[in-house]
Amino acid sequence: MSVTGGAAVAGRHAIAITVNDVPRRATVAARTSLLDCLREEWALTGTHAGCEHGVCGACTVLLDGRPARACLTLAVQADGARVTTIEGLAEGDRLHPVQEGFWECHGLQCGFCTPGMVLTAVHLLETNPAPTEIEIREALAGNLCMCTGYQNIVAAVAWAAARLRERSATP
Amino acid sequence: MKPVDFDYVAPPVLEEAVAVLASAGEDGRVLAGGQSLIPLLNLRLVRPRLLVDLRRLTGLAGVRAAGDGVAIGAMTRQADAETAPLVRERAPLLAAALAHVGHPAIRFRGTVGGSLAHADPLAEVPAAALALDATLTLTGPDGVRRVAAEDFFQGFLATAAAPGEILTEIEIPACAGRGWAFVEFSRRHGDFALAGAAVVLALQDGRLGPASRIVVLGSADRCHRARAAEARLHGEPPTASVLDAAAAVADAGLEPASDVHGSAEYRRHLVRTMTARALGLAAARLAAP
Amino acid sequence: MTLHAATDGWVGRPLRRVEDPRFLGGRASYLDDLRLPDLLHVAMLRSPHAHARLAAVDVREAAAMDGVAAVLTGEDVAGAMEPLRPLIPIPNPPRTYPLAVGKVRYVGEPVVALAARDRATAEDALERVRVEYEPLPAVVDPERALDPGAPRLFEEMESNALWRDVLTYGDVEGAFARAAHVVRERFTIHRYVSTPLETFGVMAQVEPGTGLVTIWSNDQRPGLTSGVVAAALGIPQSRLRLIAPDIGGGFGNKRKAPYLIVAAMLARATGRPVKYVEDRRESLAALCHAANGVIDIALALDADGRFLAVHVRDVVDEGCNLQNPTLHSLLKLSNIIGCYGIEAVRFEAAAVLTTKCPSGANRGIGKPAMCFALERIVDVAARRLGRDPAALRAANLIPASALPYRTPVGAIYDSGDYPETLRRALALAGYEGLRRTQATARAEGRLIGIGIAAAIEPSTSNLSSYMLATRRPGTSGVGEAALVRVELDGSVRVATGNVASGQGYPTAIAQIVADELGVAPSAVSVSPWFDSHENPWMFSSGSFSNKFSGTDTGAILGAARAVRDKLVTVAAHLLEAAPGDVVVRDGVLGVRGAPGRQVTVAEVATVAYRDLLALPPGMAGGLEARHYYVSPLADVPDADRRVAVQLTFSNSVHVAAVEVDRATGAVRIAKYAIVHDCGREINPRIVEAMVHGSTAHGIGATLLEEFVYDAEGQLLTTTFMDYLKPTALDVPPFEVVSLESPSPRTPLGAKGVGEGGAIPSLAAIANAVEDALAPLGVRVTALPLSPARLWEAMTRAGEGRGA
Ligand SMILES: Cc1cc2nc3c(=O)[nH]c(=O)nc-3n(C[C@H](O)[C@H](O)[C@H](O)COP(=O)(O)OP(=O)(O)OC[C@H]3O[C@@H](n4cnc5c(N)ncnc54)[C@H](O)[C@@H]3O)c2cc1C
Ligand code: FES
Ligand code: FES
Repeated sequence: MSVTGGAAVAGRHAIAITVNDVPRRATVAARTSLLDCLREEWALTGTHAGCEHGVCGACTVLLDGRPARACLTLAVQADGARVTTIEGLAEGDRLHPVQEGFWECHGLQCGFCTPGMVLTAVHLLETNPAPTEIEIREALAGNLCMCTGYQNIVAAVAWAAARLRERSATP
Repeated sequence: MKPVDFDYVAPPVLEEAVAVLASAGEDGRVLAGGQSLIPLLNLRLVRPRLLVDLRRLTGLAGVRAAGDGVAIGAMTRQADAETAPLVRERAPLLAAALAHVGHPAIRFRGTVGGSLAHADPLAEVPAAALALDATLTLTGPDGVRRVAAEDFFQGFLATAAAPGEILTEIEIPACAGRGWAFVEFSRRHGDFALAGAAVVLALQDGRLGPASRIVVLGSADRCHRARAAEARLHGEPPTASVLDAAAAVADAGLEPASDVHGSAEYRRHLVRTMTARALGLAAARLAAP
Repeated sequence: MTLHAATDGWVGRPLRRVEDPRFLGGRASYLDDLRLPDLLHVAMLRSPHAHARLAAVDVREAAAMDGVAAVLTGEDVAGAMEPLRPLIPIPNPPRTYPLAVGKVRYVGEPVVALAARDRATAEDALERVRVEYEPLPAVVDPERALDPGAPRLFEEMESNALWRDVLTYGDVEGAFARAAHVVRERFTIHRYVSTPLETFGVMAQVEPGTGLVTIWSNDQRPGLTSGVVAAALGIPQSRLRLIAPDIGGGFGNKRKAPYLIVAAMLARATGRPVKYVEDRRESLAALCHAANGVIDIALALDADGRFLAVHVRDVVDEGCNLQNPTLHSLLKLSNIIGCYGIEAVRFEAAAVLTTKCPSGANRGIGKPAMCFALERIVDVAARRLGRDPAALRAANLIPASALPYRTPVGAIYDSGDYPETLRRALALAGYEGLRRTQATARAEGRLIGIGIAAAIEPSTSNLSSYMLATRRPGTSGVGEAALVRVELDGSVRVATGNVASGQGYPTAIAQIVADELGVAPSAVSVSPWFDSHENPWMFSSGSFSNKFSGTDTGAILGAARAVRDKLVTVAAHLLEAAPGDVVVRDGVLGVRGAPGRQVTVAEVATVAYRDLLALPPGMAGGLEARHYYVSPLADVPDADRRVAVQLTFSNSVHVAAVEVDRATGAVRIAKYAIVHDCGREINPRIVEAMVHGSTAHGIGATLLEEFVYDAEGQLLTTTFMDYLKPTALDVPPFEVVSLESPSPRTPLGAKGVGEGGAIPSLAAIANAVEDALAPLGVRVTALPLSPARLWEAMTRAGEGRGA
């Protein structure tokens, strides 16, 4: 089979993805999801598998800057892309304001949904710096949390929005 | 929950994609955004030997003016189509329908063409395409052909696209001045609808003309033109009683099945209710353009 | 009763959680994040039939596949172990194993397990396994399952009944005879489950030579699981090391010893570590469901509307659950009278086997159903008597002055002010205003309703209560174990037998220990993981029945106080003071009235571990204590079969206002007010979050979630596309007020809060919906309140056929 999207070695494909600003390579089977590639090939286990059929959002990453289900993306489809995972959000020990908001507002319990929630919220605030409560709830409606009842997650995102606005207001 | 083993190509040009797909025959599948196909792969409900990814065919993504209407490349992400000014202006019904598709993360990946080609009977985009009298362009080994939305949807997950044919573009004719609405009812925000209605109302000399369409979803194996209801509109003024009479027969000819989300009777009722709501909204837009 | 009692200690403060940064950064270690060299991955073939004989299982082709390391069938497993040990002995216990032997008895039951180089390959291999099934009739309806002629799941049992009994407390006959009113209703209880976002999983490794089996699993009850797994593997419990890493939610669901056994057997067979993680479909079909069933309830009232007696006939559909089949029945005894002074109780219990997913522990276990039935029947009574449902409740609540209150069943309600809780909840919701809004809306044809549910939220299960079913001693009481150790540098480490899955134990424990040892919480490290070779534990160790606040705290305090005593003794010796004069504060031990005479905790610890000859003569070294706390509240059934099934009792009132769309049947929650009282709050921030989360579980169960089986026993809701969980738009904002009535009976005055809102929320919303539909005469007797179900009920009512 003639193959683009990476050279094929007996049905396997060489791919290169920039993950959290670090170029990474792997040789994967076509059926390997981006989720499994991140977790198994690169040991980036912050991206979680909650359903593997696209409903729960636990596997959300930013793919070329926009939220995507890593379980519904083949690793080969992401060849050449930029991916941000939860591990890439903090700068050293300095949490991203959305992460801070989740901590401050107790927006997590078991933490399993948290990476997907946080990345979805990061994208929301990039596109809508002052969302209403309903806008926050709508933006997060594709991410299931089984623990919190969402109230503190919504508060966390609102908290982060305020913090980010403050930051951009002070030069 | 892992797919069966398959191979994968992402050809850089359309002709190659068509050729590869054609040579794979039944074993080949187009991969667009993957938001319908990959869940089916993960559940092993679909077992292809080869996926032909269209992602490198940059020419298939994007929105352009087509006369007074708009043409949307098949690989245009649903979110991009939804927010494209040309779509909002020239096919606002489609933009409204797209807003109901899943969640943002799904729409950033899912494509307009993928939704049409997948032909889920509960999907919003096919219903909008049918209501808007869209024309779909298919490119295959034997060349390019254009198919009316009317003829494209052929049943549950079944379309007029022959094996080896790729949907490349959807064109929506001008519909300025028309009333429109998309209304649906789903269990949760972002879910596939239990029932919905896509409605276009077109006035001709103060009466509803033949371009007025009512498409309902949720009770058939595909999106469905409610012709009996349309017939109640044609030639009539858009008064409440006319709209009500149309909505009352929106379920005519439908034979929905009962399932875990409700009985057949309930679905018929929802179809009528959604149609009534959509007709009301569309008529209001007619009155106040 | 006080509102958030001020305290100068750490307990009671709404601290941020110490454990959060690793979760926020994606650096937690959940089961599936763990890996070992040479790891194999397991997949299981599961039954597509509800009930079938296994005529043949042929695994040869699968075993020969490239990349497959080992394959196990039911026969293999049965040949290698004694039958699974059920927790609750039942008559003629059938022999069952982790994989099906002879028959399959529910869709999703594991038939074959195999290990391969990766999960995809393992799933490929499953497709090569050939199984011949001879289908048998499914047993789906729990009442029909009790018919003498019903097909039996286990031929060696006399019937599908697991337990049938009638428990009577007080003069039930007399009460019904003299009642001015008797209201009755039959409620159908549906199947749902909390679905932790992380599925169940296990990784197992066997050490060559010693045979030591190490199992990592997100199992929530290691104390119970350890014995079952060791017995199955034929090893002493000391040779089984059970480790629970970070757990992505549990809610009671995560215990599945059979999977641990299968994983360990595959590790043994291959000599390599193996990992098995359920996929979502497997989890939904086969991990566990909250039991469905039928509750017939009758409430006797006198002419003034006082509740005299309650009679409950409870049929519980346990599915194919032989592990702890009386669970859903017995726990109903702990809230069968709710918050009311009902003095006579009859409970007719039937626990039944059907060909469905085994039932299991799920947030509240049986109590949500009991509360649903009781609080619904109270509303039915109010309507019958023409009383306001709030007023009828108020008239029957146990007054604060009557607490502690011994219920007829034998429980002791420890603290709280139920009437005040109701008053506050009505005020918080703006009850009068809501009623006025409702009247106006009704006049406009809108369907608005208000629902109230008052609930007892019991916690800490007393394992002696199983004697009601088994009539055998051997397991009794309940407790937890803790270890507190001051390290050489003065820092503190704590480990317990409980496993955290989001409840914030590390933070709460740090607060408790900080107070006892006079250090800051930041100086206290709590082991994030359970490790049976490191942590102290006992049979009842683990996360269940809300036992942390009322029971685990006893273990933590016991260990911390023992360490503190030793700290003080050694410090007194070093300072040449009387131990009674030594005070501890901010990591320093001083002498009362002698400023400047002091040693630090670190200095004492140095003596205890290193400068050994400076210890008081004869004293052992070390600064560490373990405490195996036994709850003093637990008892055994008395001659009248009275027993405290659970030991501490929080309470709450939920008030919901809803609007039903007449055209679609959709329910919108317009307001949701909660007043709750779980005694002293160790960390109010965590407590409130528990209330949110548990209430959301109830809302999901009430409006969206249902496992649907068809007449052939096929599960129709097998993915998150059709088993619908609530999203951020389905859960309303909650208004929460907490009252704090410290329990006089628990170590810190704290009581359970984890199950909390999962108990009353079903009833609150159902009552609100029935109230909304009252003009149409619709009765709500089954959940979930799906739009279709409500529309159909409204339509039938409109056609004059009733619901
Ligand atoms: C959680 C979730 C919720 C969703 N909710 C909704 C919803 O509410 N409404 C809704 O409509 N959809 C919903 N979807 C599906 C989503 O809209 C999909 O994106 C869409 O149906 C398919 O588009 P795709 O680009 O992802 O196509 P793919 O998944 O890549 O392909 C789908 C099918 O179409 C074929 N195909 C794709 N493109 C072409 C082409 N150009 N030519 C020929 N064949 C092609 C493929 O071979 C495949 O058979 C949801 C999906 C998920 C995971
Ligand atoms: S794991 Fe990807 S959406 Fe659930
Ligand atoms: S915190 Fe557990 S799933 Fe969200």
